[in-house]
Amino acid sequence: MATNVAGRRYRTWYAMLLRLYPRPFRERFGEGMAQTFHDLCREHRDARRGLFGLALWIFFETSVGIVRESTTHMSQLGKTMLRVALGALAVLMVPLVASQVVEGWNWPAGAFVRVYVLFFVTGMVFALVARRMGAWSYKAGLGVALVAGFALGWSNMVHVADSGNPANLVYYSVLGVGAVGALLARLEARGLARTLFAMAATLAVIAVILPSGAPPYLARNMAIGHGVYVALFTASALMFRHASLAGLK
Amino acid sequence: MAKKNTARAPLTPAVLHILLALSTGERHGYGIMKQVQADSQGKAKMGPGTLYGSMGRMMEAGLIRESDKRVDPEMDDERRIYYELTGAGRAALEAELKRYRGVVAVAEGRLAHGH
Repeated sequence: MATNVAGRRYRTWYAMLLRLYPRPFRERFGEGMAQTFHDLCREHRDARRGLFGLALWIFFETSVGIVRESTTHMSQLGKTMLRVALGALAVLMVPLVASQVVEGWNWPAGAFVRVYVLFFVTGMVFALVARRMGAWSYKAGLGVALVAGFALGWSNMVHVADSGNPANLVYYSVLGVGAVGALLARLEARGLARTLFAMAATLAVIAVILPSGAPPYLARNMAIGHGVYVALFTASALMFRHASLAGLK
Repeated sequence: MAKKNTARAPLTPAVLHILLALSTGERHGYGIMKQVQADSQGKAKMGPGTLYGSMGRMMEAGLIRESDKRVDPEMDDERRIYYELTGAGRAALEAELKRYRGVVAVAEGRLAHGH
């Protein structure tokens, strides 16, 4: 009886110890490791041997494993950050070169730094979220959503700065819907599909109700612009839906 | 992306024991541990940290893979994930055993000549 109580206590502590593994490792092997520890405890109990020595050894051995896997994980994260930093630098070359070639493109140095940070953050979000699952539809949906969200946020920021019309700030509500939806969905495909549909619907409503006051030729271009963003958000939602329906997440 | 084990570098003792344990059929984690213990006549003691850490790297290298999740009829009613060798894993095991045979042949030759 005493061994059973001790076994339960050790298993609870072992489950807590396993939580220290990096999440990808824990999600892959945590259940199996807990089960193996359970089996070892049962083997010792059946042989009428004490559990203290076994628990001490397994806890030490697993702690060494946690240090090793965490080091590997940090090193992989460092490599990902380096790749994204270099990728963001490559993309930054576009506005950097354009500012030298296009007349009237006079960004101050601070603007390039801000744009670089935005590229880097967007890239890291993609790299960290996309590796949660291997399905192409999830990765593609995420890529489209991030690119469309980034472009919407950026173009709106430029537009507000140029026109000085604070009414355009309402477009940020689309990104707000996305951020809140992604948090509520805990980045799962089904919830993200609903979030992206909601973003597309929010943008469509804004496009209809917000009076632009623009001349007809400009209003037509704006309608096309809105349509492109709505199509992109909808396409992203459909890809997340595909990932969800395939039972991949 | 999984890195395939194309190089024939010497395997670590843990990896060799796991490959050997899986060479006769698929097993779950505890089953591998018991087989390693039996194969080494109790000399190799492997805990869950070493076992699953090694298996993670072996899966990345394409040496083993998960087969399915099912109940072990000799144990309880809990479903367990089974692991099996891949073609690359079997080739790596054969290459390692060949390397060992070469080393043993050299060592025996030297010992026979009294060096």
